[in-house]
Amino acid sequence: MLDKLKEKPTVRPDYRVIGKPVARHDAWGKVFADTKYANDYTLPGTLYAKVLRSQYAAAKVLSIDTREAAKLSGVEAVMTAKDVPHNETVTRFGQTHKVGGFEGLYRVLAEKKIRFRGEAIALVAAKSLAIAEKALGLIKIEYEPLEGVFDPVEAMKPGAYRVGEDESNVICSYKVRKGDIAEGFDLADVIVENTYRVPMVDHAYLEPESGVAWLDDDGVITIRAATQVIEHFRGIADVLGLPHNKVRVIAPMVGGGFGGKEDITVETYLALLVWKTKKPVSLTYTREESIIAHSKRHPYVMKYKTGATKDGKLVAMEAELISDAGGYVFLSPWVLLYSTVKATGPYDITHVKIDTHTVLTNNTFSSANRGFGAPQPCFAYESQLDQIAKHLNMTPLEIRKKNYLHTGDSLATGRVLEHAVETEQTAEKAMEALGEPSKPRSPREKIGQGMASSMMSYGRMTFLHDTSRSYVSLDLDGSVTVKCGVQDIGGGQASSLAQIAAEVLGVPLEDVTVYIGDSALTPLAGTTTATRQLYMSGNATYKAAMAVRDNLLSKAADILDTAPENLDIKDREICIKPDISDDPDRVLALDDVVRACAADGLQLYNVAQFNAPARELIDFTTGQGQVFADFTFGTHAMEVAVDMDTGKVNVLKIVSCFDVGKAINPLSAEGQLEGGALYGLGYGMLEEVILDKGNTLTPSFAEYLIPTSVDAPDVKTIMIESGGGVGPFGAKGLGEPSCVSAAAAFANAVADAIGVRIYDLPVTAEKIIRALGKI
Amino acid sequence: MKTYPVEIKVNGEWQKAEVTARDTLLDLLRDHFGAFEVKNGCAQGDCGACTVILANKAVNACLTLALQANGKSVTTLKGVGTPDHPHPLQQSFVEHGAIQCGFCTPGMVVSAKALLDNNPAPTRNEIREGISGNLCRCTGYNKIVEAIEDASLSVKNKSRREEDA
Amino acid sequence: MSFTEYIKPKYLSDLHRVMAEYEARVTVIAGGTNLIPEMRNGEKSPELLIDISDMAELSFIRENNGSIAIGAATTIAEMAASPVLLDNSPMLASAAKQLGNPLTRNRATVGGNLANASPCADTAPPLLALDASVEILSPGGKTRQVPLSKFFHGYKFTDLVKGEILTGITFPKPHDSTKGSHTKIGLRNAASICVASIAVALDMDGKTCRKARVAAGSVAPIPIRARRVEKLLEGKEINAALLEECMAVVKEEISPISDIRGSLEYRSYVTAMILKRNIKRALKQEI
Repeated sequence: MLDKLKEKPTVRPDYRVIGKPVARHDAWGKVFADTKYANDYTLPGTLYAKVLRSQYAAAKVLSIDTREAAKLSGVEAVMTAKDVPHNETVTRFGQTHKVGGFEGLYRVLAEKKIRFRGEAIALVAAKSLAIAEKALGLIKIEYEPLEGVFDPVEAMKPGAYRVGEDESNVICSYKVRKGDIAEGFDLADVIVENTYRVPMVDHAYLEPESGVAWLDDDGVITIRAATQVIEHFRGIADVLGLPHNKVRVIAPMVGGGFGGKEDITVETYLALLVWKTKKPVSLTYTREESIIAHSKRHPYVMKYKTGATKDGKLVAMEAELISDAGGYVFLSPWVLLYSTVKATGPYDITHVKIDTHTVLTNNTFSSANRGFGAPQPCFAYESQLDQIAKHLNMTPLEIRKKNYLHTGDSLATGRVLEHAVETEQTAEKAMEALGEPSKPRSPREKIGQGMASSMMSYGRMTFLHDTSRSYVSLDLDGSVTVKCGVQDIGGGQASSLAQIAAEVLGVPLEDVTVYIGDSALTPLAGTTTATRQLYMSGNATYKAAMAVRDNLLSKAADILDTAPENLDIKDREICIKPDISDDPDRVLALDDVVRACAADGLQLYNVAQFNAPARELIDFTTGQGQVFADFTFGTHAMEVAVDMDTGKVNVLKIVSCFDVGKAINPLSAEGQLEGGALYGLGYGMLEEVILDKGNTLTPSFAEYLIPTSVDAPDVKTIMIESGGGVGPFGAKGLGEPSCVSAAAAFANAVADAIGVRIYDLPVTAEKIIRALGKI
Repeated sequence: MKTYPVEIKVNGEWQKAEVTARDTLLDLLRDHFGAFEVKNGCAQGDCGACTVILANKAVNACLTLALQANGKSVTTLKGVGTPDHPHPLQQSFVEHGAIQCGFCTPGMVVSAKALLDNNPAPTRNEIREGISGNLCRCTGYNKIVEAIEDASLSVKNKSRREEDA
Repeated sequence: MSFTEYIKPKYLSDLHRVMAEYEARVTVIAGGTNLIPEMRNGEKSPELLIDISDMAELSFIRENNGSIAIGAATTIAEMAASPVLLDNSPMLASAAKQLGNPLTRNRATVGGNLANASPCADTAPPLLALDASVEILSPGGKTRQVPLSKFFHGYKFTDLVKGEILTGITFPKPHDSTKGSHTKIGLRNAASICVASIAVALDMDGKTCRKARVAAGSVAPIPIRARRVEKLLEGKEINAALLEECMAVVKEEISPISDIRGSLEYRSYVTAMILKRNIKRALKQEI
């Protein structure tokens, strides 16, 4: 059974800072132009780096000639694979590909074979960006173009072009088996079977990948880069053959991550060039480089067959999901595992058969992207439900209410949902807020409403035995310092820690300073991924702050001659709780107690480690077991107006309702819901990285379109606070869950408007016109 | 490399540099004048992260040659307001939670200032139109629109007080 | 990388001098919203940039003697907000407002939009429907007028000879009985390259169409006038059957391609749909 969080909050429920819409401490620096992002940093003598990238998606590299480039005046380094001490690292997981195992190759620079267009082949560092660009043009590469394979279904077939060196392009596969699927379909009165396709999309953070690196006074390679994972310092050190403590990664405020800065981007290239030149080096990708060459969201082909009884009870679901991993493995196996566990959605289904595969192709590699494999099946399972509802003359809400999982129910993987599951409530509230359909503004316009619910984990996969550490201290003058290795990508990762420390220690928020994101100097807090930071580092900070508070209160209790549990701290004063005594003389100034502790050698700092519940691997032949600590459940509801002559869709209403557990900062929580709704809306309505035989046809923001301020209405957000999350104060994570079902809700709304369904994203005006049979 | 002298009034202070004919205003501001608040999100006018006010008009610094700004006044985020004298927009953006990663914020606030300078009482639709050249990937624009609307009320009240005074 | 030189003439007389001296070496820059990205990606590498963006003599919108004249260096934002255009040719102001986004509109110019001659140029279809002419200045000071319908020769290829500069656009001030309408189809609501567009200007005699001008954008290598549609409409009472005929004929006059923004089937279909829509809209509206 799950170890429940032992320390329950002992602060009173009328929180002073928690749950308040406070201004984030980092917002001031951002609005007054003080915050320095990764490439706002210069050092004297900085060199500028550029990466030479492959012109082909699949090719042999016959020769690389860098001599002319190296001779160009102002060029200080030209490096290729042969200059990299350990150019390749292989991670192995599990026993065989067939039983949940996989093998992942991380290759720094291409040497003999190209596996995707834009793969890095050479690095240049020069005195100016212009010289570096000129040097790139002087590097001569002889390619032998190869056939390549660009469709994951084709790539799975025996005899397909081999993307890597393995016989098979299949990286790994998973299964879920519950009950007997044939029996399930026998029980069904209605069966809906369809194939869904979702495209490759880009994170489109406003800040492209970038960093500056240098050698510090002790010869440590120091990399200050826009990253979600400072702990890549180990992998980078291994590439260079250096001890891990000779590489340091610092994460400044990051201009958006969304999973795209989770894998190594510029860090290894910077480290190599600094190691070679001994000078500071700066590298920033162009937007085109970012779209063409860095990781994407996996395209999926999903076959779904869903069966329900005439009462609307889901009795059978059979699904096959195939994801296009692109040229390299990166995080594809984990994204696939997330999809596998979430393939059924937040619903109780009697008989389940899920098979999932992730496959190498010569397309741009895909890896983490907000939702990490959950949005793709959500589009499929939510579309299926609406179709079943239609067959049975039920509304979308009715069919879902017949099948929602509740607290204590099990997923198809056998995992009992022991924490709050409020999906049904979120659906009811979302649809209520959506209201009656608007009136069309012209006879050529049709209005449609749609909803979609989702479940998305927060916290990493439990067999990774995730931990996070945080340091909290009260200095001699009573000011509070938090040091925690979180990487802040805009979701308030740093500011929530300040709020937690301020709440626990009874000080104003302004009295807390937070240091983050330094692999050498802040306790390691793990990745800013998997919607885990509030949960993990929030809990670690809470724990550390509580330890400091306990010491304070035990000293204060001595002085006041009472028990520590009778005391509270607020506004820098320690007093006896009013229900025990309201004697105004028995109050101590925090600063006095701090001094008393110092005098006695009682430490007022603590480094705490928070451990996520640790589990062993699941049974990969049946998919049974627990993979995640908890999930966040929510619903999107949308209303659209479709111009039936042109197919153009205007989004009239968006409602986002989630059980957030506890909103540590309601402004931040709403911000995640609002931003997540548009991130998912873009996926449903506008976005597609279009590839032609591995070549990107949408390399800039002129072709790759994300929603502007005039493409969506205000988002109405409704937050339910069940208090039933495993994060601090009962919070659940929101960063990823907030976007998962938006695209599906949009697609369902359009289907409602036009009376026809579109089975692939994005749902564009042209697809609508085609679906209506007009062309 | 042929270079030309430029002189530009950046946030009220005249600054000089030598630039090529191809250097953009974005290059000049970041590389020569250290104005790191002007961000490079795409370098071709699609994202608005480099928005500055050039002679009273909000423009993409990446789509303006440095020489085209010669002799003119340029306002960046630093010129909109400071910690000692914050513009209502800056106060409002922070209080409304309109800043997440913050990378779009400099361009967004500058665009909003240009909007309010020309249209002191915009409707929410006009606000959305006014910032439609500034992409944001984090916030969904909601709180940005609220912040600008709120700031417009402050600005209106402030200028009314100044008129009365 | 070649080194570019830069000259910024203040007055027309300076411009004449520069053009005479440098002739075919001249590349004009106004807003730079097309040229600067082209220089960045290596597509263009001008020897000499002549910056006309601040030339007051080329920046105007005025009504004189029954025609409307717009200087080539007038920005798209100025056109979108111009009382002269809003009064006389609101569909031109509306098309200007849909070009790019507020930031690019503050720099982009009508001269640049036309001289760049993209088939997607947003100001071209309304100007074609308004029977606009462009004024071209040659080195040596000579000017010539070219009807806009004869200005575009092929994909991004115009009547401008190297060394010439487009200096202005004029069109006859529309009558009170002229009714106009314009629609741009784009993939999103701002900063969206045109997928297909139609502009119509109809001179009506009661229910009969005396004169029709119909222009289409993004559906051919150049912005075009749909002459056969115009002939169909002229002299006739516009009814549902005639509109259907026009829709069929316009599909024959355009030659859209399939690209990342849309297939030729969709472009063809939607052009016909917005043609019908704009004619109907125009009949309830005056220009």
